[in-house]
Amino acid sequence: MDVKFNNRDPVYVQVIQFFKEQIAKGFFEPGQEIPSRRELANQLKINPNTAQRAYKEMEEQGLIFTEGNLPSRITKDEQVLKMVREELVLEAVTTFIHSVRSINMPLQEALKIVEQEYEKE
Amino acid sequence: MIEVKDVTKKFGRKTVLNGVNFTAEKGKITCLIGINGVGKTTIMKAIMALTPIDGGQILIDGEKIHKGSYEKITFIPDTITMLPQMKVHEAFMFMADFYDSWNQKRAEELLEFFRLKETDRISDLSKGNTAKVNLILGLALDVDYVLMDEPFSGIDIFSREQIADVFTSHLIEDRGVIITTHEINDIEHLIDKVVLLDNGVVLREFDTEEVRENEGKSVIDVMREVYRA
Amino acid sequence: MNRFLKLVNFEFSRFFKLYLVLVGITVLCQMVGVIFEARRYVGRANKAIYEDLLSKSDFISQYGTMSFFRFSETLWFLGPIMLAGVTLLIYVFFIWYRDWFGKNTFSYRLLVLPTARLNIYLAKATTVLLFVLGLIALQLLLVPAEMQIIKWLVPDELRTDFSIATISNHYYLGVLFPMTIADFILIYGVGIVAVCVVFTGILFERSYRLKGIFLGILYAAVSILVFFAPILVNELILRNYFYANELFYMELGTCLLTLAGAIWIGNYLMNKKIRV
Repeated sequence: MDVKFNNRDPVYVQVIQFFKEQIAKGFFEPGQEIPSRRELANQLKINPNTAQRAYKEMEEQGLIFTEGNLPSRITKDEQVLKMVREELVLEAVTTFIHSVRSINMPLQEALKIVEQEYEKE
Repeated sequence: MIEVKDVTKKFGRKTVLNGVNFTAEKGKITCLIGINGVGKTTIMKAIMALTPIDGGQILIDGEKIHKGSYEKITFIPDTITMLPQMKVHEAFMFMADFYDSWNQKRAEELLEFFRLKETDRISDLSKGNTAKVNLILGLALDVDYVLMDEPFSGIDIFSREQIADVFTSHLIEDRGVIITTHEINDIEHLIDKVVLLDNGVVLREFDTEEVRENEGKSVIDVMREVYRA
Repeated sequence: MNRFLKLVNFEFSRFFKLYLVLVGITVLCQMVGVIFEARRYVGRANKAIYEDLLSKSDFISQYGTMSFFRFSETLWFLGPIMLAGVTLLIYVFFIWYRDWFGKNTFSYRLLVLPTARLNIYLAKATTVLLFVLGLIALQLLLVPAEMQIIKWLVPDELRTDFSIATISNHYYLGVLFPMTIADFILIYGVGIVAVCVVFTGILFERSYRLKGIFLGILYAAVSILVFFAPILVNELILRNYFYANELFYMELGTCLLTLAGAIWIGNYLMNKKIRV
C-alpha cells in the first residue's frame, strides 16, 4: 500500500478516504480481512495513534467490523458498500461540475463528451 | 506524562529558557520545534537532569527525577553515549549490566533491522550507523519515555527512512516520545503534538490532527503563521 | 551496592592496561637496576682492591658498603616510583575529564545510570585507592627480593644488611610503608581525603566551568585550612599547648570533617549542578 498523504487534511481522514476508494474500486472485497492497526501504521508509515483513530471512525461508520478478538474485516453490508460507491462518485461529480459549470457549454454537450471518453477506456 | 512547568535557564547572562511550559503525554509523539539555539536540546537535557535549571519544575509521571527514573525515561542525544572503543556487543553488555529495563532481544532485533553487526567497533562506524547504534541503546530499554535529539541530523536519506520506520512500529507504540528535528517534512504525518519554541517561551502547543481538522493547516502552515507574527 | 561494585569494576578495567604497564616497568627497572648496581659496586671494589691495591677496609671507609639503602637512592629504584606517582596524579584528573572530552560523551551515559550519582564518585575514588594499594603491595614484594639479590651478588664483607623495619624508618620509605596502624591510617587517610578534595574541586569546574575553577581552588584552600586547623592553631596561636596525642585525635576529627565535606559537596554538585 503506497499512499501519499498531504499535510493539511487530518491523516486519519485520509486513511478512511483511502479505504473507501479501495472498497469502491473493488480492491478491498466485502468481508476481506484488513491488517491490524499496528501493521497498517507500519505499512502506511503513519503514527499508530492515527491508525487507531481511523479504525475507530471506520468502525463507527460501519465500513469495517470486528468480531471478538479476530482481525477486523471490511463490511459485507450491501447498503454501506453502495453508499461508499455513491459517495465517491458524488465527489468526482461535484469536482466535475465545479470545473465545468463556469465554462460556457450546455450540460447535454458536456455529458456527451463524458460518455465518449468513458467508452474509450 | 512529562510536565515542563515554567522552566527558566540562563547561560551566563543570556536567558535561554524564559518560562517554558508544555506537556508530553505517554503514547504520543511530541515534537519540539524551533530555530537552532532556541533551547530544544537544553530542555531535553534538563528533563534528564543533565543540566540544572534556574527556575520552574519538571515532573515525570508526577515526580521529580530520581535515580529510578532512569529505568522509565531515556535520552538519545546526537552523540554516541558509549565508549568509542567498545564493540557493539560490549555496549549492549554494559547496558544489560546496569539497566533492569534492558531488553536484549529487542536490541538484537533492532541490530538486525539496521543491518549492523555485534562485532562492529563503534569508532569504526559511519555517522549514520553510529546514530543507529545510539538509537538502539535507547529503544532497547523498556522505558515509558524516549527523548530523541535530532535523530535525523546528518544522516543519509536511506538511513533516515529506516529510522522513520521505527516511529511507525511497535517500538514506539504506547511510549511517550519527545523529538526535536529540523526535518519536519519526513515526519510531519507521524507527530501527534507540536510545541513551537521561540525566544525562550512556547509560542504554540497543539495537536496536529486537530489543527488539520479544525483549521485545515499543516504543521508548516502553523509554523509560518506563528513565526512570522 | 551492586551497581557501585559494577562501577568500580568498570573503572578498574578501563585503567588496567596502563596499570600493568606501570607494574611491568617497576619490576623490570628495579630488578635490572639492582643487578646492575650490585655488580657495578662489586666491579669497582674489585678494581680498587686488585688493581689499585687498596685494602678492603680502606675501600669500605672510602666508598661505603653495598646495602639496600644505596640502591634505594638510585634512579633505578626511585624512577618507577616517581613515574607511578605522577601517573596516578594525572589519572586523578583524567578519570573524570576523559568522559567529557574529544569524541567521548560517555558522561551522558554515566549520569543517567539508574544509580545514585554518588556511586560514580565513590567508585572512581575506590579505583584510585585500589591502584595505589596495589602498587604499594607490589613494592613491598619487590623490596625483599631486591635485598636477596644484593645478598647473592655482593660478598658479605662488602655488604650491610638491614631489616625491613629499619628501612621503613628511613626517610620517605617510611611514608610509603608505614609500620604502625596509626601511621598507616594517617598517611592513607590523608591520601583519600586529598583525592576526594581534588575530585570535588573537579566537580566544581564541571558544574560552573570557568567560574568553577576559581570555586574549586577556593574550596580546596578552605579544605586544607580546615584539615590543618588543629596543627595551625596549636602552633601559631596557642604556642604548642596540646600534647601530640590530643593533636592526633583532633587531626583525625578534622580529617573526617574534610572528607565528609568533600563527599557531601561532591554529591550535591553531581545531583544539582553538574552539566554535560
